[in-house]
Amino acid sequence: MQQSREHTLKAFDEDLDRLRALISQMGGLAEHAIGEAMRCLMQRDVDGAQRVVADDKKLDRLEIETERQAVQLIALRSPMAGDLRDVVAALKISGVVERIGDYAKNVAKRVPLLENVGKIEPLSLLPEMARIATGMVHDVLDAFVERDAASAVAVCERDAAVDDFYDSVFRTLLTHMMENPHNIGQSAHLLFVAKNLERVGDHATNIAEMVYYAATGDHMADRPGKSPR
Amino acid sequence: MNDSAVEVRIETPKRAVVDTPVKIDLRNVDFYYGSAPALRNVTFGVPANSVTAVIGPSGCGKSTLLRTINRIYELYPEQRAEGEIVIDGRNVLESRYPLSDLRRRVGMVFQKPTPFASSIRSNVAFGLSYYERLSKSEVDDRVEDALRQAALWDEVKDKLQHSALSLSGGQQQRLCIARTIAVKPEIVLLDEATSALDPISTAKIEELIQELRERYTILIVTHNMQQAARVSQRTGFFHLGELIEFGPTSEIFTNPREQRTRDYITGRYG
Repeated sequence: MQQSREHTLKAFDEDLDRLRALISQMGGLAEHAIGEAMRCLMQRDVDGAQRVVADDKKLDRLEIETERQAVQLIALRSPMAGDLRDVVAALKISGVVERIGDYAKNVAKRVPLLENVGKIEPLSLLPEMARIATGMVHDVLDAFVERDAASAVAVCERDAAVDDFYDSVFRTLLTHMMENPHNIGQSAHLLFVAKNLERVGDHATNIAEMVYYAATGDHMADRPGKSPR
Repeated sequence: MNDSAVEVRIETPKRAVVDTPVKIDLRNVDFYYGSAPALRNVTFGVPANSVTAVIGPSGCGKSTLLRTINRIYELYPEQRAEGEIVIDGRNVLESRYPLSDLRRRVGMVFQKPTPFASSIRSNVAFGLSYYERLSKSEVDDRVEDALRQAALWDEVKDKLQHSALSLSGGQQQRLCIARTIAVKPEIVLLDEATSALDPISTAKIEELIQELRERYTILIVTHNMQQAARVSQRTGFFHLGELIEFGPTSEIFTNPREQRTRDYITGRYG
C-alpha cells in the first residue's frame, strides 16, 4: 500500500508496529469473548460465562496500554500524515474494541438467567448472527493492520446481514412472547443478546470508517459512488 | 439517515486558510548555478498577508528560491534565473527592474543573526538612511516602531546605544527582523531564521511571525517541519529543484497527495 516504505528511524516503525499489534491483540480477545459467550449461551455453560466476564478486564488493561503508547508516540515521534492518522485511529479503535468486549460480557452475564431456556427458534438464529458480527470485527482489524481501505468498505457492506438477522430475531421473539406470557422473561433476555450482537456489527462498521480514513485521508461518507449506509 | 435535517455548527479555526490575493507570482522559474539547474519550472503564487513555508531536503532548492526572489544571486556572475517573478504586476527578474526598489520591498533574514558591530539603534536605523531622508526624531520613532514590532523594544529600550553584539542570539535575530521591517518592506523572506536559536527564542520569533503576517507577506524556508506546521498557512514541498506539492499547511501535514511529500514528512525519505 501507500506506506510500504520504512522510516529512516527504525524505532519509529517498531513503535507503530507495537501499536498495531496491541489493536490486533485486543481484537482477538474481543472476537474470542463474543464466540465464547455465545458458546456458553448455547451450551448453558455458566462457569464458562463467568470466565468471559472475568476476562473482560484484560481488554480494559489493553485499552489503557494502547492509549499510553499512542500518547507517547505522538509526544516523542511527532507522527505526520498517514502515520498520524494511524495513531489517532488506533486510539479510537481501542475504545470501540473495548466496548465490543463489554457486549460479550453482557451476553455472558445473561447465561445463568437463560440456563433453562428451551430449544426455541430465535435461539438457533443467534450463533450465525454472532459469527457474521465477529467475522466483521476480525476482518476490519486485519484491514487496519494492512491499511486496506477496500477491505474496510467490504466489512461495512456486511452489516446489513447482521441487521436482517436482528429483525428476524426480533419478530420471532415477539411472536414467542405473544404466544405465552411465561416466555416474556427469557425472550426479553434473548432480545438483549440479539441487540448486543447487532451493536457489535455497528461498531465494526464504525471501525471500518476509521480504517478508511487512516488509510486514505478521506472520509468514507465522502467517497465517490455510494454512502456506507 | 437524513443528513440535511441535522445542522452542525463548526467554528472556523483561527489558522484556517483565507484566500488573499497573490503577492508573489512565480511563473516557470528556472535557476542555474553555472550549468547546474537548481530550480526547474517552479510555478506557484505566494498569497499576501499570510505565511508560506517552503520545506524539503537539503539541496532541494528552497534557499535558492529565496535568493531568486530578491535577486541576491546577481552578485555572482555565473548564476542566472529564467522565467518570471511577478510582484504587483511587474516582473522583478527583468534587469531594468531597479534593484534598490526590490530590496526595499523584499526584506530578508538569514540563518545566523547578522548584526553590525554598532549600536542597537544604528543597526535598526541602517536601512532608513539609505532609502529615506528622515529627521532624528522621525528615525527614533521608526526605530522604536520596528523594535516593538519585533517584540524586542522592552528588552532594549534602555540601552539603545549599547553594542548590538552584546545581545543574545535570539535577541540579535529579532534585531535583524527589526532592521528588516524598519524600511517598511512588503515581503519578508526568512531563511532558516530560527535554526541557530534556543526553543524560547524560537517560540518568540514564531509568535512574532504570526503578528507580522497581518502587515507583510512572509515566506519562510525551514528544515524544521514542525515549525512549518506551526507558523504557516500554506506549505510548498520542494525536491531536486522542483515544486512537488503546494497547498494549505493543514492538508500537507495530515493528507498530502504526492508520494514524495508523504515520504518526506513522515520520515521515510531516502
